[in-house]
Amino acid sequence: MSDQRESYQPPAGGAGRSYAGASAASGTMHYLCAECGVKVAINKGEPIRCKECGHRILYKQRTKRMVQFEAR
Amino acid sequence: MATKKSSVAFNTLERENLFRNPPKDKSAYPALLAAVQPHIDSFNAITVDGGLLDLAREDIGIKSVFDGTNEKGSLGNKLSLRVDKIYIGKPRLSDHRDKTSLRREIFPSECRERHITYRGKLTVKLGLRINDGPWISQDRELGSIPVMVRSNRCHLENLAPYDLVEHKEESEELGGYFIVNGIEKLIRLLIVARRNHPMAIVRPSFAGRGKSYTQYGVQIRCVRPDQTSQTNVLHYLNDGNVTFRFSWRKNEYLIPVVMILKALIETNDREIFDGLLAAKDRENTFLTDRVELLLRTYKGYQLYTKKETLQHLGEKFRIVMGVASDMSDVDVGKEFLRKIVLVHLQDPRDKFRMMLFMIRKLYALVEGSCTQDNPDAVQHQEVLLGGFLYGMIIKERVEEYLESIVKEVRREVRRTTAFDFSNKEQRTRIFAKVNENIGSALEYFMSTGNLSSPSGLDLQQVSGFTVVAEKINFYRFISHFRMVHRGSFFAQLKTTTVRKLLPESWGFLCPVHTPDGSPCGLLNHLAHKCRITTTISDTSSIRKTLASLGVVSPATASLPSSATMCIQLDGCIIGWCSPKLARVVADTLRYWKVEGSHDIPLDLEIGYIPESRGGQYPGIYIFSQQARMIRPVKYLPLDKEDQIGPFEQPYMSVAVTPPEVVPGESTHVEFDPTNILSIIANMTPFSDFNQSPRNMYQCQMGKQAMGTPGTALRHRSDNKMYRLQTGQTPVVRSPLYNEYGLDNFPNGMNAIVAVISYTGYDMDDAMIMNKSAHERGFGHGTIYKTEKLGWAEEKRRGGPSSNNLFGFINQEEIEEQIDSIHEMGESTDEEKLLKKKAYQSLGIKQEWLETVDLDGLPKIGQLVKAGDAVAVYHEVPKESESRSRFPQNKVFTYKGSEDAYIEEVRLLGVEGNDNKPMQQISVKYRIPRSPNIGDKFSSRHGQKGVLSQKWPTVDMPFTESGMQPDIIINPHAFPSRMTIGMFVESLAGKAGALHGMAQDSTPFRFDEHHTAADYFGHQLKMAGYNYHGNEPMYSGITGEELHADIYIGLVYYQRLRHMVNDKYQVRTTGKISDLTHQPIKGRKKGGGIRVGEMERDSLLAHGTAFLLQDRLLNCSDYTQTWVCRECGSFLSTTPSIKKIGFESQVRCRRCAKPAAGFKAEGMVWEDGNGGQFVGGSNTTVIAVPYVLKYLDVELAAMGIAMKFNIAP
Repeated sequence: MSDQRESYQPPAGGAGRSYAGASAASGTMHYLCAECGVKVAINKGEPIRCKECGHRILYKQRTKRMVQFEAR
Repeated sequence: MATKKSSVAFNTLERENLFRNPPKDKSAYPALLAAVQPHIDSFNAITVDGGLLDLAREDIGIKSVFDGTNEKGSLGNKLSLRVDKIYIGKPRLSDHRDKTSLRREIFPSECRERHITYRGKLTVKLGLRINDGPWISQDRELGSIPVMVRSNRCHLENLAPYDLVEHKEESEELGGYFIVNGIEKLIRLLIVARRNHPMAIVRPSFAGRGKSYTQYGVQIRCVRPDQTSQTNVLHYLNDGNVTFRFSWRKNEYLIPVVMILKALIETNDREIFDGLLAAKDRENTFLTDRVELLLRTYKGYQLYTKKETLQHLGEKFRIVMGVASDMSDVDVGKEFLRKIVLVHLQDPRDKFRMMLFMIRKLYALVEGSCTQDNPDAVQHQEVLLGGFLYGMIIKERVEEYLESIVKEVRREVRRTTAFDFSNKEQRTRIFAKVNENIGSALEYFMSTGNLSSPSGLDLQQVSGFTVVAEKINFYRFISHFRMVHRGSFFAQLKTTTVRKLLPESWGFLCPVHTPDGSPCGLLNHLAHKCRITTTISDTSSIRKTLASLGVVSPATASLPSSATMCIQLDGCIIGWCSPKLARVVADTLRYWKVEGSHDIPLDLEIGYIPESRGGQYPGIYIFSQQARMIRPVKYLPLDKEDQIGPFEQPYMSVAVTPPEVVPGESTHVEFDPTNILSIIANMTPFSDFNQSPRNMYQCQMGKQAMGTPGTALRHRSDNKMYRLQTGQTPVVRSPLYNEYGLDNFPNGMNAIVAVISYTGYDMDDAMIMNKSAHERGFGHGTIYKTEKLGWAEEKRRGGPSSNNLFGFINQEEIEEQIDSIHEMGESTDEEKLLKKKAYQSLGIKQEWLETVDLDGLPKIGQLVKAGDAVAVYHEVPKESESRSRFPQNKVFTYKGSEDAYIEEVRLLGVEGNDNKPMQQISVKYRIPRSPNIGDKFSSRHGQKGVLSQKWPTVDMPFTESGMQPDIIINPHAFPSRMTIGMFVESLAGKAGALHGMAQDSTPFRFDEHHTAADYFGHQLKMAGYNYHGNEPMYSGITGEELHADIYIGLVYYQRLRHMVNDKYQVRTTGKISDLTHQPIKGRKKGGGIRVGEMERDSLLAHGTAFLLQDRLLNCSDYTQTWVCRECGSFLSTTPSIKKIGFESQVRCRRCAKPAAGFKAEGMVWEDGNGGQFVGGSNTTVIAVPYVLKYLDVELAAMGIAMKFNIAP
């Protein structure tokens, strides 16, 4: 049946959305190694490995784009 | 004992320093580490050299199998198998699977972050021998088994706080748990019967065992050195006979006890008679009659010598024991005695004596000269530690492994005629066929808590052995390790006897810290000073010492006439003495024990049970082994610490406080009366002022508070984590708060609380919060949720495995075009459509790029709402397939209903595979939860309440100094609940805040002569406040002074994790059940709330019939349906077929007659099958509940028709 959530929808105005300027992040992405903290460039389809120490967990870095929220 | 007595002081600088510079030598909070020590020690005990696994390996012994190659009759070559060593390795990367990593160790934090299991390799060194040749050893790897954190198989063992922080752990990481699939699990402590002590039991169910069985029995739980146990029971029969019962591989067996006696040693009836009856018992005809009968009835077996008896036993139990076929019956008999009868003893002579003792005790029980032992009292209980249970399971699995090799060899021998043991290839083929993965079995055990075991391990339950160590807050976490469960078997019992709080528990189990409801009294917590022994104390000097005290050794005389008191050491009879001497022996031993002389260990338990008329069976029972509860008290004669156990405690005189000491009677005094409370119960301030159930409630609520689970939250990935942003240290606390370092994990906030009925919004346990306090951050919390995204589990066997990748399939294309597409205008509908098409041609949607980066992973810091994309992935196109028109990108969406922020994104390498691309990511969401109307709060006195209003500060009442409360609660919360402790805390907190000091809230510190009200009142007076804590207050609305003085002070408030946002449930329409068309239940599914019978009754009583109809019909399963007015049936109505000039109508098939002859064109109607009918047109539509139709169908299926009278 109707599975939709009937929550209050604030009027569109793009609160919390900075419309995509995705172009800034192009090419390979850089991640942080969880072990040694070094920046690791991983291309799509590559195994998740730190290039320095071979660690198996990488953290994604915080986005460089402006993130703006409505203070409510 | 801690050398430095901790105080209640805030120690702000010291704490700050500890935070900045974690100690590099040892933890600053040894008490905290001691709290989990039993878990770690028990695990270490299995793995150390000569530990339990080594003992288990010896107990398993040699398994052998024959190839039957030689001529008929002989067995052929013999292959013997044994285990030479069991190794458990530390968690490491496997050397041949991973070649790139520098560091080979796997640390616990990595397992948490990757959602994998912290496990080490299990290796078994197998010994093989052919006939009488030399033993050849061979290493077999049996998978990886979960390893306890901070045990001796963990890399964090003995690390200092500084190093722990370096390894992404809490500075006070405790360990004691396992990490299974990234979840922290621990093995529950379980109460089991005290080992090696025969217990007199009266159980009506014993009588149901068979003909002439009675309710009397003596039960002993014998524990082998490797901590596995075997329970033996002696049953008393009506005629005076005694049967020996045991259970082996879940089957029960009964043997006449004399047969066991005769098999154990070369004996005769005279010796048994003498052993059972002391000189003075000879006059007791009750006993002599029974012993005579016991010996007489056994004559029927015609087994006289030890050899004959063993042969008989061996013959009967050969199959059951599963021994090698070349063993003689006598040897099988011996093996039977070794493995089943009184397994805690090795020497048959000792077993014989113990068996005689048990028979004597049984007769005494029947005669009434001794009472039954209470198996529910902690006196006859011990604690099964997680590590020991783990060791038992490993032992059983390894034994099973050996047996499966034997079985496989046997099968191979039967299949192929020429099977050669010495051939290495044939041997490896055997190994390949045997299931060698013990590791996964243990992982299964840890993750489900289910025990799958052929023997049942002598336990009463098969599931519920493990629990998740939830880190809701630190109180919750730490109490998991102090929790002792009685066993899930007892949860089903209808009687409440097992749940009772018995005086024996004093000092061992906390009387307040047990949940209310179904687990009440079954789930207890250890008192904070109670310790559990994990090693055997050195008892080598006991026998010598006893001899010097004049105790008669059992070796010299079987049962000396004057010596009636038995002295046992761990279930082995080591001497006899007279009752008079027994007292001296017990007292002297204790004195020497505390003094530390004569090599008597301090944690020895000397249970002296004096002779009494019909009391507990007398004797001195000394216990030195593992798994005993033990606690420190002060021994008065020496003014030194003594360690006492629950067996001896009931017969000792322990004063609670020094003034209670009775000269000449008290031997001990408690160090502190608060020693009887658990860690959590000790955190309730002034708990002695409260009504006791309130303290129980607080123990529950303290564990549900939104607090600080830890400081290493960044490196954790729990499914759900609660965090209080503005936690504070309580002003009012006990010194134990500092001793356990709870300042590292604040659990609430200090609040100014006024007890006043102010707005009406504080009725019925509601509370009003100052809006400005809320805005300053009071009670602000956060929920962290972690979600694992990926395909690791989607491995299908056989079928084509789908291969997915994170990211966009056409990343380059998107990168090129995305900017230009973004810039496309969308002012007109046409343009919008064009833009949408452009996105579509890239196989993406515009919204995706708002939350997802071009690597297909979510942006950190991004706000996501329900349904937003959090990750993009695609299938890797197979080379054979041609590319479809549009590139296919798919998304994982955020499924929560609340807005969340992306907190962390982890890219996880594939476990155990070097070069596979990323298959999994872990996304942590942050959901801010500021206090909301409807959220639950509580003080530390079981006074919970719901926030009802955030009241503007200007309208809050104020005192003469201008203070305004943070929280207002209603005075009606107190009279019936009698939580005086909360008043005292309010008083103490106020005085503490005014003077800038922490207040000691340890219970039992005040009395009638020195009252808390005076003590804190005086402090208030000194600060210039009202002595009683009341203050005149002014209405914030009118500015008028209130008529009464208001009680206002400072109370520590907890924010509980029950929040409206997780609870609210509304529905107008929504999902309905397919079967009944009624609304489904369940908040998650958007269901409704049931209007039950009581609700219905109240609507009825109010006469609100339409409301009732609305709830029960219109908003539920209202349906309109056709019914035949004539025959009153739902089921016979059917729509007729539409024809030209003939609209479809609903007709009754049952009332219609088949059309025959000539009828008017308009009269005839046709059903779906082409049948032609006339009549049956008297149908109508009515409104009924849908379930009624369903009922009709169900009844029709049973051949019952329902008829409805339709009117008008």
